[in-house]
Order: sequence, then C-alpha cells, then structure tokens
Amino acid sequence: MDFFAHQAQARQHTTVLVVYFVIAIVCIIASVYIASAMIFHATQTQAPAGAVWTGFVLWDPQLFLYVVIGTLSVVLAGGLYKTLALSKGGSAVAEALGGRLLDIDSVNPDERKLRNVVEEMAIAAGVPMPKIYVLDNDAGINAFAAGHAPQDAAIGITGGGMRLLDRDELQGVIGHEFSHLLNGDMRINIRIMGVLFGIVCLAVIGRLLLYSRGGGGRGRNPMMFIGLALIVIGALGIFFGRLIQAALSRQRELLADASAVQFTRNPAGLSRALQKIGRVGSQIGSVHAAEANHMFFENGLSKPFIGWMATHPPLEQRIRAIDPSWTGTFDDTGATNNSDPSMKPNQEPL
Amino acid sequence: MTSSPIIILVLLGLLLLAVIFVIELYNKLVKLRNRFKNAYAQIDVQLKRRYDLIPNLVETAKAYLSHERGTLEAVVAARNTAASASVGAAATPGDPSAMKKLGGAESLLGGSLGRLFALSEAYPDLKANTTMLSLSEELASTENKVGFSRQAYNDAVMLYNTQREVFPSSLITSAFNFAAAELFVIEQAEQREPQKVSFA
Repeated sequence: MDFFAHQAQARQHTTVLVVYFVIAIVCIIASVYIASAMIFHATQTQAPAGAVWTGFVLWDPQLFLYVVIGTLSVVLAGGLYKTLALSKGGSAVAEALGGRLLDIDSVNPDERKLRNVVEEMAIAAGVPMPKIYVLDNDAGINAFAAGHAPQDAAIGITGGGMRLLDRDELQGVIGHEFSHLLNGDMRINIRIMGVLFGIVCLAVIGRLLLYSRGGGGRGRNPMMFIGLALIVIGALGIFFGRLIQAALSRQRELLADASAVQFTRNPAGLSRALQKIGRVGSQIGSVHAAEANHMFFENGLSKPFIGWMATHPPLEQRIRAIDPSWTGTFDDTGATNNSDPSMKPNQEPL
Repeated sequence: MTSSPIIILVLLGLLLLAVIFVIELYNKLVKLRNRFKNAYAQIDVQLKRRYDLIPNLVETAKAYLSHERGTLEAVVAARNTAASASVGAAATPGDPSAMKKLGGAESLLGGSLGRLFALSEAYPDLKANTTMLSLSEELASTENKVGFSRQAYNDAVMLYNTQREVFPSSLITSAFNFAAAELFVIEQAEQREPQKVSFA
C-alpha cells in the first residue's frame, strides 16, 4: 500500500550500511598505520641498543598522513574503477548472463504472458517498463533485475521460470524483482562491490611489496613486513566486507518479498512460486552467475554458502514470512511437475 | 504610544504567517488532487484497451456460440454502456456520480463477461481456438492492469480526501472548491476476484 514507507526503510538500511563500511575503512586505515608504525619502529631502532620498544612512540603524524592518504587513494581508486566497470546498463548485465531480449510482439503464449505480467507489475509498482530478457538455457526457476537507473533497467527470467510458473506465481516473482528496481538495490550493490574491490587492491599491493623486495634486501627491509601486514589486513577487510554485503543482501530479499506481496496483494502466488523453486531448483549455468548472485530471485549457485555468507535467506524462512500457515513441505497439491524427488535441489542451510 | 507600531507589526506578521499557511495547504491539496487525477488517467488507458478487446472476443466467439446470441448481445450492450460511462468519468475523475456510474457499468460488464466465459467452458473447440486463447490472455492481463491502477487511484483518492477533511485544511476546502473525490469501486461480489478467463 504505502511503498513510500518501504523506500524510507531502504534509505535507512543504506545509511546503516554506509556507516558500517566507513567503520570498516577506518579500521583498515588504523590497522595499516599501527602495523607500519610498529614495523618502522622495530626495524629502525633494532640495531644499536637492546631491542626494547622504547616507550612505544607510535604517534608519528607524518607517517599517519602518508598512511591515510595512501590507503584511501588505493581503496577509492580501486572502488571507482570497479564501480565504473559494473555500471553497465541492465541490458549489458542481462546479455552477459546469456539473456535473450524478449520480442515485444511475440505470439508465443508463454512469452506473451511474461510480457503482460511485467507490464502489470510495472503499473502496480509505479516503475517504468524495463526491458525483458529470457535465459533460455536455464531450466531452473530464477529471475533477476539489473541496471542502476529506471531508464536502463532490465528484468530477466530463466526459461524454466517462464514455462513452469503460472500467472499468479509469475506475478510474485516479477513483483519481487520490481522491488529491487524501485528500491535502488542495484546501486547499493555496485557500491559495495566497488569498495570490496578497493580492499582487494590493498591486498594486491601488499603482495607486490612482499615479492618485489624479496631478492634485494636481507629481511631488514620494512617494506616486506608492510606488504605482509597489508595482505593480512586486506584479507580480514574482505572477509568482514563480504559479511556486511551478505547480511544486507538478505535483508533486501526479505524486503523485496514483502513488496511483491504489497504489489500483487496475493501472498499465495509468491509462496507457491517459492515452493516450486524448492522442488525444481534455481540454478544458473552462466559463468557470471557468481558475481551476479545477489541480484537473483533465489540463490543461483550450486553449493549454498554457510549461513552468514548466504546472499539469500533460506527458502523456508522466506515462505514462512509470507505464509505463516505453511506446512513445511515443498510438494504442494495440484502441482503439475511432481516428477521425481531425486531432482529435489540443494535445500538452503540452517 | 510606542507600543502601537509594534502591535501593528506583530499583527502584520501574524497575517503574513496565516497567508503563507493557507498557501501551503492550498498547494498541498492541489498536488494531491493532481496525483489522483493522474492515477485515473492510468485506469482510463486500460479501460479503453479492454473496450477495444471485447468486440474482437465477441466476434471470435460468435462463430462457435451461434445459439447463445443473448449472452453475446448482453456483453456487447454492457461494454457499450461501460465505454460511455468511462468517457464521463475521464472528463471529471473523482466526481461521485460519474465514478458510481462507471463502477456500476463495470460491474455489469464483469458479470456478463463472466457468464460468457462460463458458457464457453462447454465448447472445447472455442477453448482451443488460438485467437480466443491470446484474446483471453490479453483480457486477463488488462483486467489485472485495471485492478492495479485502480489500487493506485483509490490510494491517491484516500490521501486526498484525508488531507481535505483534517482540521486546518477543512477550513479552506469549500472556499477554494476542493470537492470530495469518489473511490472507484466495482460493487459486485464476484468482481472482487479477478475474472477467471484462463483457458489453460
């Protein structure tokens, strides 16, 4: 009903996320500074008198300035580069995943139904009509939204999703994707991936430092230790960054489910679609699936992550959130394809 | 004697504040009124499309339902009534009598279409006809689009009516002629659910 409230919520999440990331970057800068101060201190005062860490003079304004400028510029430059690389329009992403642009005048009944449902959801969500792509090679049920502005947005669905879902179920799935478009989830994700890449750059520079001076000096070169420190700090930063990214992604999925119900006013449709995924699976074959996993309707990778790293909440949790009376089995009655239980896919962990 | 200019200034200030306040309220009401009018325009597009599809549907069904002339004629008549009611509603969106008239006509049309589709269940040839299949998909989709845009319209009308009735703005609504807007309700109980026009 009131999707302005949802948008406000999305902005609030974004703020929290930005705060977390700023904290993460501050922590990284602080660690780099402490590490380099200790290393310089140790290597410079090591030779003469007894190797007492005299008073621990860690405050060195000049070094601090260098570290802040150096670290920030590496992270920001890396982040900017990656953000620009990722900021391709929705069509580019959809085509990279192997999508085929849907012919608007198609007479194929499934394709017409898909186009109509997307139009209906565009009206319900109050969002301009996106381009529609079909991933013909994927037989599982999945869908994605891509593009960071309404003008170049694209919505894609797997061939399996288009054929196996009925009208109501398709509405739920497409409504979910419209929520991602409406709430600007793509923009948020691109920025997080940019910062994560910046942190990766930091670790790469650390590796360069470690190896480039390896032959010349004899272990006393502080650069080598700094390189080592950067690798460790970078690894930790990436780990925690991924955790924040995954936690946020799960929140956005739940928000999108709730918005889909809000658009369609039909929780049963979305619930049945999720149960069908529980039976048929949601795998995506494209080699680009891993980097785009967060934008799919349901986890598109073969092996589920450990819970904290998962980009999607467990199917069970998602169904219960929409339909508290759900019995807990994926084989609902009247299903057209109750073929073989051996096809039962990976169930989400937890 | 020095107090009088101050009093005048204070009074002027208060008057200015009151004027600004009224302008704010006025603009807010205009904004909300335009929002629901625009929401109605979205419904209108879909209704028009629906009125265009129905004659094609009747034409296709005619070949198979030659003995059901009455049902077909009822659909055409209901369609014509609804189409003319929609012209009136589009001219003055939110006007109570126009909206009620359209709501009533749409209910009738929904009912007669429902009977037509129930009837066609008994004609397998008609159900298998590809033109009929694609027409019914289009009609189902248009029906949903009307439903979704009706939701948006009704939400917008509710916001406008609430703003119109709450205390400070209720003082100026009659002075500036902000009439209450009417929800777009399709009365019939069976119309609450989307039309079952699936032939699959």
